[in-house]
Amino acid sequence: MKLVINGDEHEVDAPVGASLAAVLRERLGLTGTKIACNEGHCGACTVMIDGVPVLSCITLAHSVEGEVTTIEGLRDHPLVDAFVRADAVQCGFCTPGQVVSAAALVAARPTPTEEEIRHAMAGNICRCGTYPKIEEAILHWRD
Amino acid sequence: MELLRPSSVDELDGGLFIHGGTEVVPLLRDGIVRAETLVDVRGVVPRGVTGGRIGAGTTLAELEADARVPDALREACRLAASPQLRNMSSLGGNLLQSTRCWYWRLKFPCRLHDGERCHAADGEHREHAIFGNDYCASAHPSDVAAALLALDGRVRTTRREIALAELYRLPDEADRRMTTLEPGELILEVEVQPPAASTYLKAMDRKRWSFPQVGVAAARTGGGTRIALAGVAPVPWLLDGPEDVERATPLPRTAWKVDVARALVRRALAELG
Ligand SMILES: Cc1cc2nc3c(=O)[nH]c(=O)nc-3n(C[C@H](O)[C@H](O)[C@H](O)COP(=O)(O)OP(=O)(O)OC[C@H]3O[C@@H](n4cnc5c(N)ncnc54)[C@H](O)[C@@H]3O)c2cc1C
Ligand code: SF4
Ligand code: FES
Ligand code: FES
Repeated sequence: MKLVINGDEHEVDAPVGASLAAVLRERLGLTGTKIACNEGHCGACTVMIDGVPVLSCITLAHSVEGEVTTIEGLRDHPLVDAFVRADAVQCGFCTPGQVVSAAALVAARPTPTEEEIRHAMAGNICRCGTYPKIEEAILHWRD
Repeated sequence: MELLRPSSVDELDGGLFIHGGTEVVPLLRDGIVRAETLVDVRGVVPRGVTGGRIGAGTTLAELEADARVPDALREACRLAASPQLRNMSSLGGNLLQSTRCWYWRLKFPCRLHDGERCHAADGEHREHAIFGNDYCASAHPSDVAAALLALDGRVRTTRREIALAELYRLPDEADRRMTTLEPGELILEVEVQPPAASTYLKAMDRKRWSFPQVGVAAARTGGGTRIALAGVAPVPWLLDGPEDVERATPLPRTAWKVDVARALVRRALAELG
């Protein structure tokens, strides 16, 4: 199977049924993508396929057709700094998924309203409850 | 396991269909469904909206954002699942999702797993059904199906065209299936006529991103008003009229859903004016 991830092409050998999240972490060493619930509930494993946020834990690696962007591909995105400035991180386990969802949101809407942020970020659960700070980070991502 | 990717209906030959995989992948992983062959149907099932026809491969996210889609369906999609799931979820897959009954998901040997009893009926059933619940008390989780039932949608498959209502059946001792789809039959399109007005209201255990406790869809057309409910019966449930709520047969711990349904039906009808 061939996967394009953060602009690089990878040839991967994995059994059909393997999730994209497992392939990223275990075969490619891209461990920035986290697996928490592993069943589509929490958003920790969010990556983009062709710019659209999806859950890599319930995506079959073999069915991926587009280009995958993981948190490693967003290293230089201003949102990363914005999260740090707003102190939007506690344990940090949900953070990669939060940043990926936020990056897709600001690409579509550079100045989202609070309501738009809440709607677009609803699939990323934060056990530590950093929601107000995440909202602040996204509101001020370009400052 | 192998994965096939047919590009036309003629190439279909058995296997387990997978579109977005949001339902299939967890069920496979938990061993609730098994397959030697997975068939990725994205190359076969139409996607997009043309007039009143909606490709079964259209995602809930696309429907949520499409102004041509009747309000009830758009709102049902907007309130369903989470943004990432709506990006992945196809309309066809949504209509065919399995129950969220925790006994079933945890593989208790209940009637829907060909066992002899309904574990929910005499167990934990706060989230379960208030209609059609004497054999299996599960509550159908699709917001989208309730909206389409109120809109009197029609479903075109590789073999026939049926009313959405005919896609579903209550399970019984002789036949435990919840849909009338035959093995190998693929949903291609859903057709809806634009209503004069329609709406979808949803009660959840939190404000966002949750399955419906009770969902109420209402659509007014020249022929009258149709009201359909999610989360209240093993299948999407059509009411004969608002007073039909009083014919509910709640379990000991689901009576609260009758109150919620009554209130939401009243509000939905008020919204339609
Ligand atoms: C955590 C979670 C929360 C959710 N919350 C909600 C909610 O609040 N409201 C709601 O309405 N839904 C909710 N859903 C359901 C979700 O919308 C569905 O899982 C999704 O729509 C299924 O679409 P899919 O393309 O991923 O289907 P798949 O997983 O690919 O397939 C689902 C089923 O349909 C069959 N299938 C798929 N396409 C076709 C076709 N064209 N013809 C015939 N058979 C087909 C498959 O074989 C399989 O049996 C939730 C799901 C999850 C995982
Ligand atoms: S409600 Fe249906 S799925 Fe749940 S335990 Fe009873 S028979 Fe099984
Ligand atoms: S790990 Fe994928 S949604 Fe929780
Ligand atoms: S920071 Fe701990 S889960 Fe979000």
